[in-house]
Amino acid sequence: MAKRIVINPVTRISGFMEIDVMVENQLVVDAKTKGNFFRGFEQMMVGRNPFDAIYLTQRICGICSTAHSTASSVALEDALQIQVTEIGRYVRDIIHGCEFLQNHLRHFYQYTIPDFVKLPEVSSIYQADHTDFRLPKEVNDRIAKNYFSSFEFSRLAHQMLAVLGGKVPHNHGIFVGGYSMPPTADKIIKMKSILQKISDFINQFALPDVYDIARFYPDYFTLGKGPGNLLSYGAFHRYKNLGTLYVEPLVYIGGKTESFDPNFITEDIGYSWYAGKSTYKPLETMPEPEMEKKHGYSWVKAPRYKLLPFEVGPLARLWLSGDYRKGISAMDRTIARVLEAQKIAKIIGVLLDQVIPNHSVQQEWQLPESAVGVGLVDTTRGSLGHWLKLEQKLLSFYQIITPSAWDFSSRDTNNIPGTAEQALIGTPIANTEQPVELGRILRSFDPCMSCATHVYMPGKEPKTIQVFG
Amino acid sequence: MNQREYLLRQAELIFSELNYLIRLLYHTEDYYQKNLLLNQVWNKISQLQFIHQLIVYHLPPIPALVPAPPVPTVPIQPMQPEIPRAIPPNVFTRDQLARFNGKNGNPAYVAVNGMVYDVTNHKGWSAATHFGLTAGKDLTKEFASCHAGQQWILGTLIPVGRLV
Amino acid sequence: MQQEYVLPPEPVSNEAIAKRLTDAARAEIHSGRLQKKNFVWLELTGCSGNIISMMNGTNPDLEYAITSMVNLVYSNSLMAAEGEKAIEKLMEALQGEFILAVEGAVALRNNGLYHVIGNWQGQPLTALQAAKMLGERASHVIAVGACATHGGPSAAKPNPAQCVGLQSVLDRKVIQLPGCPCHPDWFLGTLAHLLMYGEPEMDNLNRPLMFYSTSLHDRCPRKHFFDKGIFAKTLGEPTCLFKLGCRGPVTRIDCPTRLWNGYVSWPIEASTCIGCSQFGFPDQMAPFVVYDITRE
Repeated sequence: MAKRIVINPVTRISGFMEIDVMVENQLVVDAKTKGNFFRGFEQMMVGRNPFDAIYLTQRICGICSTAHSTASSVALEDALQIQVTEIGRYVRDIIHGCEFLQNHLRHFYQYTIPDFVKLPEVSSIYQADHTDFRLPKEVNDRIAKNYFSSFEFSRLAHQMLAVLGGKVPHNHGIFVGGYSMPPTADKIIKMKSILQKISDFINQFALPDVYDIARFYPDYFTLGKGPGNLLSYGAFHRYKNLGTLYVEPLVYIGGKTESFDPNFITEDIGYSWYAGKSTYKPLETMPEPEMEKKHGYSWVKAPRYKLLPFEVGPLARLWLSGDYRKGISAMDRTIARVLEAQKIAKIIGVLLDQVIPNHSVQQEWQLPESAVGVGLVDTTRGSLGHWLKLEQKLLSFYQIITPSAWDFSSRDTNNIPGTAEQALIGTPIANTEQPVELGRILRSFDPCMSCATHVYMPGKEPKTIQVFG
Repeated sequence: MNQREYLLRQAELIFSELNYLIRLLYHTEDYYQKNLLLNQVWNKISQLQFIHQLIVYHLPPIPALVPAPPVPTVPIQPMQPEIPRAIPPNVFTRDQLARFNGKNGNPAYVAVNGMVYDVTNHKGWSAATHFGLTAGKDLTKEFASCHAGQQWILGTLIPVGRLV
Repeated sequence: MQQEYVLPPEPVSNEAIAKRLTDAARAEIHSGRLQKKNFVWLELTGCSGNIISMMNGTNPDLEYAITSMVNLVYSNSLMAAEGEKAIEKLMEALQGEFILAVEGAVALRNNGLYHVIGNWQGQPLTALQAAKMLGERASHVIAVGACATHGGPSAAKPNPAQCVGLQSVLDRKVIQLPGCPCHPDWFLGTLAHLLMYGEPEMDNLNRPLMFYSTSLHDRCPRKHFFDKGIFAKTLGEPTCLFKLGCRGPVTRIDCPTRLWNGYVSWPIEASTCIGCSQFGFPDQMAPFVVYDITRE
């Protein structure tokens, strides 16, 4: 007999999320992932001073704010036809890299570990709601101890970011041209010193911890695969003198790797509560809400590449760069996140050596009357795009497609479920009273639901809005 | 720095000192200490009054700062000592005032109660905006709603003319 | 003659002292001699950046706060439990005494249904319901960050979710800690004051004076450039950023002396202040950076 399981809230993620699945014979047969709140940042950007976007779009997300300042400044450079200098890119990428370290450490320890490790109940929040803990006592206790020490290292990653960013969350250091105030020698060496501490922690604690978890939960190498299509806009790549330090803009589709072409990005509203063309490109006008749509089942929009759902994030990047090709699963995703932290730490080290102190990249930037700009960057959770238009020197259009929109998209016109929905469908649930598998699989994607929407119509069946970005 | 600017700066210093004294007053429990602080507040206020008198009665009126052509120039009248407030002779219509938005080389002017003030370098007016208000406008209503009972603020602004 | 040094019996670094205090407090609590107050951290309509900022705190840090200062019973970002079992913890807390901290605004649109924070007994629990239910019964309520104090970025024009600050839906005193995000010291310092000495002294807008009494501009290291009228033309210059849109003069906060993230820097060391600790942020603090302002 079919049983419906609803988990709301899915805790230990950024933002609010609901899982709604149907289970038949201990197997997930249908799955919906829903974002639970709405703010409408794109509407908020219209009519504003263009430069304000760099600071205001950061407020979309508290854990990955730097990502939005990066994408927004790149989109503005495109619109203002500014050639960013290599040093500008280096420093911006260093600041952005620090956010990767903070995010990956926090997501692995604070958000993922409590799924697999029994934490001491020093505060009520550590009371677990399931009993599937498999680690031997000494391993469990060691990782639990590292859970608490990891706070210091994720904090240090943000401290390193703030050395050039002024503060974080919501930094002031990233701007058009790359960065605002020029780094000085004392700042560069301060960052190097912090970086060393973080690298040591990743190598000596985080990596052994993730491999131990993998060893005792091997079934998660077979759970949560998803469609197996991978996408990256490219990260830490195509520097004039250094070449590509991480990954080129690439896609992995049907078992083959090919180069990425932004023209294939579309958003689909075939099964979402919007009126208008079912498939459109990011720079076309956003469709209007339409709740009475016949085939609509959700407010979730569906970003697609070549009309297919894609997975983005650390595993996609490591796969595309060739660094990790063991498999695509919930556990591979978690391992990839820690491996990527190690890789990013190395890259930041390389870039810090390239920084020239006391060199300003700032100018009195001039705004054109009208312009169009696109900023595609790969950030902690995957591929992030900002599309913007200027009219009369003010923002007239803003479109954001976040990594979590890729990973948590809805069904599309061709009836293909979204990436995480596909990852959930087919999952065996050992104990429907404690469906711990669902949360573990979803968290492997590192959901960031801070741009999502959820509407309940009074007196009607709940309807889900998910206007990502 | 001319005399007027010097006096305005002095006034600003006294304002900061007053701020400081008032903060101290919040924290002081002791009766005598409190009285002492209150006395100091009185002293500062009389100093302010003194500076105010100096500015109003003893300084020459400010020459027109703006050579903008559409502004009608009225011949400068010698100061009458009985006039309570030195009113610069420039007059602005609302349309003329709108030009002074603080951008692209134009100074930032705002009007309150028929007087036009220069806020180009006023510290509350960075980017020629103040809590969502923009320069080049008559802000009488906004001033009344946010700064009721704080008429002294107008005394710290530089008057440049009248709104007609 | 060689001087004999008497070494302290244990390390005296800040970290070591904090650790000893933590251990001692833990022992006290463990033995039942000390009762920690229940504490609820509620995330409403915002970016969940304030809990991230709290994790960035140093001495006290969040680990110290939740192991030695209070008993954290609910936090969407940190708690192990999920689903209705998580909301159950929230309902249990209602039965006793607790301190409430709220980050994020309250979305009013469609009777609060624009933000559902969880399910309880099969029904959606809205941010609005949670704010009222917990806010009315808490011993103290602290609004943490710009969205909670006055709507903040969640209420930015045109405010599609009809967001308001916490005070708008609660008829009681709410301690206001504006900031985007709130500095960990502003919050943990206020919490410490509540636990150890009761309510801190506050201004007429309920901001604790120990953090929000002085204008940022008065203590800005770039202020002498302002006084001399030397204004930066670009963000890369060390002079006064006033003409580029800096909101320091209208923002009352201790950023210049406190500094951020392990006390390494602060916004004006990088760029303009955007007035994020002032009521009215972001709309009333815009524009943040502009290049067409007259310099005289």
